[in-house]
Amino acid sequence: MSDIKIQMKNISKVFETDELETHALKNINITINSGDYVSISGPSGCGKSTLLSILGLLDMPSGGEYFIEGTNVTDLSLDEAAEIRNSKIGFIFQSFNLIDELSVFDNVALPLRYKTKVPSEKEISDRVHECLELVDMSHRTSHKPNQLSGGQQQRIAIARALVANPAILLVDEPTGNLDSKSGDQVMDVLEKLNECGTTICMVTHDPRYADMANIQLKLLDGSILTTPELQEAV
Amino acid sequence: MNHYFFLLKQAWGSLRQKPGFLVTVVVTMGTTLGVLLCVLTLAYLLVLQPLPYPEQDRLYNVTHAMGDKSKEAPPKAFTYPGLIHLYKNQQLFEKTALLQYAEDILTSLPNQPTLNTGYVTPQWFELLGATLKMGRLFEQTEALDTFNPVAIISYKTWRQEFASAPDMLDKKVSFSGVTYRVVGVLSKEFVEPQINQVGKDVGIWFPWDYNFDVPLKESWGYMSPASIFVGKLKVGVSASNAQQRLTPLVNDTWAEHVASIPFFSGWSIKIELEPFQTVVMGESKNTAFLLLAGVLGLVLIAFANIANLFISRTAEQRRPLAIRAALGATKSQLFRELLAESGLLMLLSVLLALVIASLGFSLLQSYMSSVLPRVDELRMNTITLVAAVFCAVLFAFLFAFLSRRAINYQTLNSMLQSSGKGTGVQVSKLFRQSLIVSQVAIATVLVFVNISLFKQAIGTITEPTDFSVENMSQISLAVSASQVPPPEEVSAVMTELKKKLLELPQVESISQSVSVLDRFGLRALIAVTSGESFTLESKHVSNNYFQMMAQPLLEGDYFSDTDIKDGTQVIIVNDVFAKQLSPDGSALGLQVSPPSSRDRLTIVGVVKGVKMPAQTDIPMRVYTPLNLAPTQMTLKLQEGQSITREQVVSAIKGVSNLYALFSLQTLTEVKQRRLFTQYTSAITTSALTFITLFLAGVGLYGILSYSTQMRRFEIGTRLAIGAKRSDVIKLIVKDNAAMILLGMLTSVLVLLALYLGFNDNLNAYLSNNLVFVFVLTLVPIALLSLFACYWPLRKYINQPVVHSLRGSD
Repeated sequence: MSDIKIQMKNISKVFETDELETHALKNINITINSGDYVSISGPSGCGKSTLLSILGLLDMPSGGEYFIEGTNVTDLSLDEAAEIRNSKIGFIFQSFNLIDELSVFDNVALPLRYKTKVPSEKEISDRVHECLELVDMSHRTSHKPNQLSGGQQQRIAIARALVANPAILLVDEPTGNLDSKSGDQVMDVLEKLNECGTTICMVTHDPRYADMANIQLKLLDGSILTTPELQEAV
Repeated sequence: MNHYFFLLKQAWGSLRQKPGFLVTVVVTMGTTLGVLLCVLTLAYLLVLQPLPYPEQDRLYNVTHAMGDKSKEAPPKAFTYPGLIHLYKNQQLFEKTALLQYAEDILTSLPNQPTLNTGYVTPQWFELLGATLKMGRLFEQTEALDTFNPVAIISYKTWRQEFASAPDMLDKKVSFSGVTYRVVGVLSKEFVEPQINQVGKDVGIWFPWDYNFDVPLKESWGYMSPASIFVGKLKVGVSASNAQQRLTPLVNDTWAEHVASIPFFSGWSIKIELEPFQTVVMGESKNTAFLLLAGVLGLVLIAFANIANLFISRTAEQRRPLAIRAALGATKSQLFRELLAESGLLMLLSVLLALVIASLGFSLLQSYMSSVLPRVDELRMNTITLVAAVFCAVLFAFLFAFLSRRAINYQTLNSMLQSSGKGTGVQVSKLFRQSLIVSQVAIATVLVFVNISLFKQAIGTITEPTDFSVENMSQISLAVSASQVPPPEEVSAVMTELKKKLLELPQVESISQSVSVLDRFGLRALIAVTSGESFTLESKHVSNNYFQMMAQPLLEGDYFSDTDIKDGTQVIIVNDVFAKQLSPDGSALGLQVSPPSSRDRLTIVGVVKGVKMPAQTDIPMRVYTPLNLAPTQMTLKLQEGQSITREQVVSAIKGVSNLYALFSLQTLTEVKQRRLFTQYTSAITTSALTFITLFLAGVGLYGILSYSTQMRRFEIGTRLAIGAKRSDVIKLIVKDNAAMILLGMLTSVLVLLALYLGFNDNLNAYLSNNLVFVFVLTLVPIALLSLFACYWPLRKYINQPVVHSLRGSD
């Protein structure tokens, strides 16, 4: 069964300055189905981060069309984009981007508090604990992020990304700021999540981790080098 | 040199990217430094700059204190013959001058302008080093008792009244029945010492012999308060020495002449010397220091705010700074780059400041020349320019230094490699929070005080009066003959003039008395039944005075035509006095009498007491019928009509050639003049409110912009996980609300402390509406705080989130 989570048609991105135009992405066509584990890799400057930003509605494409779960999200206002990010996308950043002033619990709960209809405190608490359980961090709920190791922080960030039941997890170099042992642990968590049905799209330049994905996209100079038949790969 | 040029070019390029920062710094520092330069130049003029007269430190005003030993402050006035005696016999002054001021009408011109006149002995102009546009100064031909009818006119009179006539020296001018030949026009550069009244320059100078006190020539027992003696002491003679030696010279002769008058037994005269500088400058030194203190306070607030903006900008620029440091820029090289930027900004600020300062000079000259001495001499000078350069250099270094201090050079490098956590530029949270609290507290206090004063002033200006000044004008005549005619004759002419003026289409009615706004005289009256004595304000009025001024009659009647014609023994009182005389009943029919007189004045009417503009209470007043018309009258004109000076002059000429128009003014003008302080206060306080709000806005923006900058990645992260813009705005407002509220609370404490400390002085300004005023104050402060929270955020929340997150990895 193919349940399309993400579909990009001819997406391009041009950065314009006074002097020059940079084509960061050219005619990108991607379809990601439910339960896929997609990796995007490529050399520095190939457009990985730009693609991830557009996938995550952090930035707008210059051309093409983009659908999340069938909804056209190409031309959304900033607040509409925020709503989609909140409900459909879970972010995991290279630098974790946890908020130091908030406890682990509150960091994880944050996306729920930004929902249009904020769940009850009990629902929030249950869901946060559930997610922390998934990343094996339920014993650290009242700690502050800076009291944790990098690997632990990244697992908290994963819990935060999961908390609102997103359609897809977007992962940006999740191991970039971690030692190899912590990196491996984080990747294990992601793998387990995928096994349980979570759709993941990950940007990485580490071929070892890229290989863990069942679909591997290679990006060069803003274009996808090979576009495997995703349906077949599943 | 090339390197410095490169630095400046680079600084300009970088500043152009941030027009908001550039404009805020230049406008704030430009305005504040402009006011500082203006006040500094004024203070230098008032405190340090010598008077523009040769060897001015040897110039003295000689006063003549007369009285018996019991008098603590004896009147300082010469007797006319005593003055002349001193002038003729003193040996201690190198040069001396006698001087009197008056006003008179130039009757030989068609518009008959009233000019300020001066009567002087020849050396007056030598003492002042006066220069001429044309003609000559007074000479021995105008010495004492020569009675030579010549005159010297001021440059301004020459320009305004004679249209800069090149043949001025052929012209003659007439004043009070005497025709003078003009012998000189003073130069534009001549600065008259305003020792008579600040802001009042003499338009025409006459020889001393024509002064109005000449009839007192032999009167050793009368004072001539208008006479002034100015002299330049001989080298080596001290002021105290001169005082000691001149006192017996005058006192002995005076005592000899008044020996036969018992009233003066035990009296003596003391000569005192007062430096000319003190006489001219008066109390203005204190004003200068007060102004300077106020402006320095303003500069400090502005400096704190802009320093904060600079630190905030440095925080924003930490990445380029880090790259520079990584490339090997030393601390001092970074400092030079910061200095180029702050130097450029201060240069622009000072240029704006110079423009504002010169605007300030014009404003001071237009509005303050009757309050502050010497403001006509105010202009851009070396002091202004030196101060401007000093300010530019000082503030450029200070801002660069503070920006430099905010950079932690050691951690700059690491920030390039770290995960965005390393911050090479830091200002502590506590420092930021205390800045917010102090900004809000200072602004709230200042705005509250200013709004209170503004409200008070506007209240006085707009306070409804129980009389009308609409469409009314008052005229005053002077006799242009050397001999004043008897009152009956004056009255007859004035009544004739009234008829003439009533023929003018725009004149509706005329009251042959002074206007409602004119000052009252004081008189003592005794209540006949109780014997109680009162000191009251009193005025002689015509029969239609009250109707014309729309002053309501509460009881009884107005004066009848017979009362006016026969000068009947009747009186009208205001309700304040009526209540005093008869607290429970009517005062009508009660009688009052002047002390030591058998006259009985019967109260025939009670009018409503009227409050004069800018007065706080209504005094007891009485009005008596005016049976001989004075040389003043009040005109009521038709709606929207006016009367010109020429029309009145022509009516006067149609009646008699002996009279000249002394003044013609609308009652609205008179009322506005009376409210001058309130108008000034309203303008100043509203300007200060806006400046304070502007400065507070800049200050709060600076702090919040910095803290928002510090939270950029956090904001980006929140947006990335789905926070809407309103969520982020709420977050920032919520986080700062506590400090803003604390600032407002602090202001309440400060105001309370002020109230407790200065209760007596502040009572006049306290009203029941203080809570309303405080709420009115909090509204702009709260809006400003909200604005300061939102404005720095807009660049993060109004563009794709990726911009906020960029650099975090």
